[in-house]
Order: sequence, then structure tokens, then C-alpha cells
Amino acid sequence: MKQNDRASMNDAQKFSLVRREAIYTGLALVGLIIFWLIAGFGTAGVDVKIFHLPLWAVLGSVGVWLVAILISAVLSRVLFKDVDLGGEDDGR
Amino acid sequence: MEGNLSALLPLIFFMAVMVGISIFVRHKQAGKNFVSSYFVGNRELGGFVLAMTTVATYSSVSSFVGGPGMAFQVGFGWIYMAVVQVTAIFLVLGIFGKRVALLARKLNAVTVVDIIRARFQSDFLAAVAAFVIVLFFCGTMTAQFVGGAKLFAAVTGYSYEAGLILFGLTVVIYTSIGGFRAVALTDTCCALIMMVGIVLLLHYVLEAGGGYENIMTRLETNNPELFEPFSFGNMPWTIYFTQWLLVGICTIALPQSVVRGISYKNTAGLHQAMLIGTVVVGFMNIGINFTGILAHGVLTGTAADYGGVDNIIPTTIVKAMPPSLVGLAIIGPLAASISTISGLLIVASSAIVKDVYLHWADKNQHVVTPARVKVLSMATTALIGAAVFVIALTPPSLIWLINMFAFGGLETAFFWTLLLGLFWRRANKLGAMLSMTGGTIVYCAAQATGFKILNLHQITIGITVSLILFLIGSYLGKREDDATLEIFFPKD
Repeated sequence: MKQNDRASMNDAQKFSLVRREAIYTGLALVGLIIFWLIAGFGTAGVDVKIFHLPLWAVLGSVGVWLVAILISAVLSRVLFKDVDLGGEDDGR
Repeated sequence: MEGNLSALLPLIFFMAVMVGISIFVRHKQAGKNFVSSYFVGNRELGGFVLAMTTVATYSSVSSFVGGPGMAFQVGFGWIYMAVVQVTAIFLVLGIFGKRVALLARKLNAVTVVDIIRARFQSDFLAAVAAFVIVLFFCGTMTAQFVGGAKLFAAVTGYSYEAGLILFGLTVVIYTSIGGFRAVALTDTCCALIMMVGIVLLLHYVLEAGGGYENIMTRLETNNPELFEPFSFGNMPWTIYFTQWLLVGICTIALPQSVVRGISYKNTAGLHQAMLIGTVVVGFMNIGINFTGILAHGVLTGTAADYGGVDNIIPTTIVKAMPPSLVGLAIIGPLAASISTISGLLIVASSAIVKDVYLHWADKNQHVVTPARVKVLSMATTALIGAAVFVIALTPPSLIWLINMFAFGGLETAFFWTLLLGLFWRRANKLGAMLSMTGGTIVYCAAQATGFKILNLHQITIGITVSLILFLIGSYLGKREDDATLEIFFPKD
């Protein structure tokens, strides 16, 4: 969204956008929970070790963290849009 | 008891820097709107500081002491459970960050209670919300004071009271002087020092244990339970489930986190904070809990041999680190403690001064001069801090439980009120009132009697009752007026 489009958004458009972004965040949470379940409990029976750690422990900790970072990056850089918050101190 | 002076000096220096920051901030904020600058830092936070203050307030001394102690005992299942906290930052900022910021600017709101009052048009509900905040925050702050002072005593050899005076009074002083802006900046320092502390401790634990290979090979042979998700029965599924609620999903409604949505400058900063915060919270969680497991390379007995899980990290610090670096190592956990205290203290103070007193004065056309507001705000912050300090002088036992009790209470009270209140037009005053009061009372009663369902933490009872009451109230009560709904749910 371009700078001018952001500035010209009315209240209803801003709140609608923010609502949509909250839904994206909720869906991202659901996705992460599913990944967490599969990465940890789902691979607990797999007899593979990485640096002396069982696969489930690696995927269920560092793996979940990396996916959470990826989710945050997609949300904040792709799906979320800049909005003029309306205050005089809003620099964006 | 003879103390370790070299451990004390870095701590004194660190605390002096914190006080210095708050004096600098007060000086810089002179001439600006006091209430806005003191309670939300004039909405000037950038992305990095917003991320760090949100993470630091969220990460408490329990994350650095009790958590890794449990990881020592339980193993990788504990890290798998604790990693759910990586959701905390992107959830609260992603769901509430922009909505709260937009509303705060529209309503000229400075606190979360301001927004609740405006949404439900109820002074009574606002008063209940302020009361709940002060009550549960005092519980959490006491736990932080006690946890920090115990750690200080165990590691430095000085008394519990000396620790309480050193860092307890310091945090009360710098928060009282500098307000929210100082809290945010000192939180940033604290978060950075926490990460340095983790790296430092990990390095010395690996060195003392004879290296990673050596420690892990011994663990595989001697402690196979550490490598199993349920830890041979020590980590039942109920813990995983309730932790998702307690320290994951429901944390989005913690007032100390939501208020950060009022404090940032622009949405670019918010987006940046979501990413930075997720990186940092994951690093801290995985780093410190993994260090707790690796502490087996330093400590050869069980947790019980060292006096319980809370003593694992303090004992590891003393055994693994050179005496000259012990002071640096405990700054991390103490930073976690003081950053949580300062974040809660300023919100508790705003609940009393802004949400109760200034609102009462405004309603009764009672003139309050700016100078009086300033004195009252600083005095209230100092008084709440002093009261908690006095309670902590006679430390209650079961710090971890007090902390979790308060967490669950706040989440029960605010989760549906904020989530449904800000995203559902049908939500109304009756629903919010029933949910906040009824849910909190039922939660406290369940805690007091030890009543559980399926052996799940009482948050499950609180949050369920709170939802049911909210829905009943919202369908039975009358809708909010159109003018209010137009503010919260504007239409084209």
C-alpha cells in the first residue's frame, strides 16, 4: 500500500484492515500449534539424533522457534500494512 | 555471612545505571504532558525498544531460575513446553497492537482501563479492572522481589535483606522517578543483559562440564528420561495443555503487555517489534532452559540434593563461574526480576492515579493541578513499590505458585473482556462485568480449594467460566449505544 493510500484511509478502512490482520495472527497461531504438535510429539518415535539430541527435541524447540520467526516475518513484512494511527506524533 | 564483594560491585554499577537512566528521562520529559509521558512515554517508543520492553516485562525471574531448574529435572520436554512462549510477542502485538493504538489516539486513552471504560461505558467495570490489576500485580511483584533476593543471597553470600534493599529499592526509585519511558529504556538494557548473562553462563557450564560432547554422552547414559517428551511420567500432557493457555495464548490479554500497544510511535515500529521480540523471547527461553539441562555437567546429584529446582541455577553459577564473574552472571536473572517489577509497578500506579483518582476528579469537576498530578503519580508508584517491598521482607513460600496464580487471575479477568470487547460488536457491559467479576471469583475459589478438572490448572476453569458468563451477559443485556459502537467499530 502506498503512502498516499495509507493517509487517505478512513476510520472504517483502518479498523477493517486491523481486524483482518488480527485474523491472520490467529490463523498463524493455529498453524504454529499444529507444527508444534507434529514437530515434537509427532516425531518422538523417530530414532534420529542431531548433535546428540533426539529429532523431536530439535524440531520441537529450535524448529518451533524458527517457524515462529518465519511467521512473524511474514505477518509483519508481507501481510501487515502500515497505517496512519491518527495521532500528531505518528511518523509513518 | 561473609559476602563476595567482587560479585556485588557489578550489581551496584548496574543499578546505578538504571537510576541514572530514569533521572535523564525525567529531565528530557520535562515540559511535556505529564500523565501521557509518565504512564505511556508519550507514545514515542520505536520498534527495538518496544520489542525489548515487551519481552523483558514478560520474562520474569521464574524464567531464569525456576524454569531452568525444572529443565534440569525434567529434560527436553520442559524446553518443548516452554517454547510455546515464542508466540507471546507476535500474538499480543499482532492482535491488539494496532487496534489499541488507534483507539488510544481516538479516545486520548493512556491505560488499558481507559479503553475498557470507554468500550463498556462503565465506571464500575473500570474500577473492578483497576482493582484486579493492583491485586494480582502485587502478587506477581512480590514473587519477583522474593525470587531475586533469594538468588542474590545464594550467589553472593550476602543476606536476603541486603539483596532486597539493593535491587528492590532501586527498581522502586527508578520507576517512580522516570515513569514508563524509563521503564522501557531500562527494560531494554535488562533484556540485553539477560541475553549476555545466558551466553556467559552457557559458556562456563560447558567448560566446567568438560565440553558439550562429554556432558551429552553422560546424560544419554545416566538420564534417559531427559530425552523423552513425557520424561517417563514427569511431564504429563496436562502440563503441556495448560502451559499453552497460561504462558502462550492467554498472555495476549495481560494488561502489562496490552498497554505497550498504546506506547509505540508508528506501525513500522510495531512490525519491527513483532519480529525482534519473537527472536529474543525464543533465544532466551531455549538458551536458559538448555543451560539448565547442561548443568548436569556441573552438578552430579538430583535437584533435591541441592535443595530443590530453584537452587539449580544459583548453585551452577557458583560452581561453574569464576568468582570475579559471578556478579555479572546474576545481573541477568536480576534484570529479569526488576524489568518485570518496573513494568507492573507503572501500570499498577496508573490504575490508581489515572483510572481511579483522576477520573473521579474529572467527573466531580475537582481541579487537579499538573504539579499535584506529578507528585501523586510518583508518590503512588513509590508507595505501591514500598508496600510490596515490605511484604517481601517476610518472604512467602511457593513463589512459583504465587506467580502463576496471578498470571491466571489476570488472564481470566481480561482475556474475554479485551478480545471480545474489541472485536465483537455484540459484547456489552453486562457480559464484561459478569465475565470479569464472576470468572475471577470462580478462578480464585478453585485455586483456594484446590479444585481441578482432569488435573488441569485452574486457568482452564477460570477462562471457561469467564467465557460462558460473557456470552450470557452479552445476549441478555442491552447493546451498547450507537455512538460507542461507532468509535470501536466504525462503518463507512
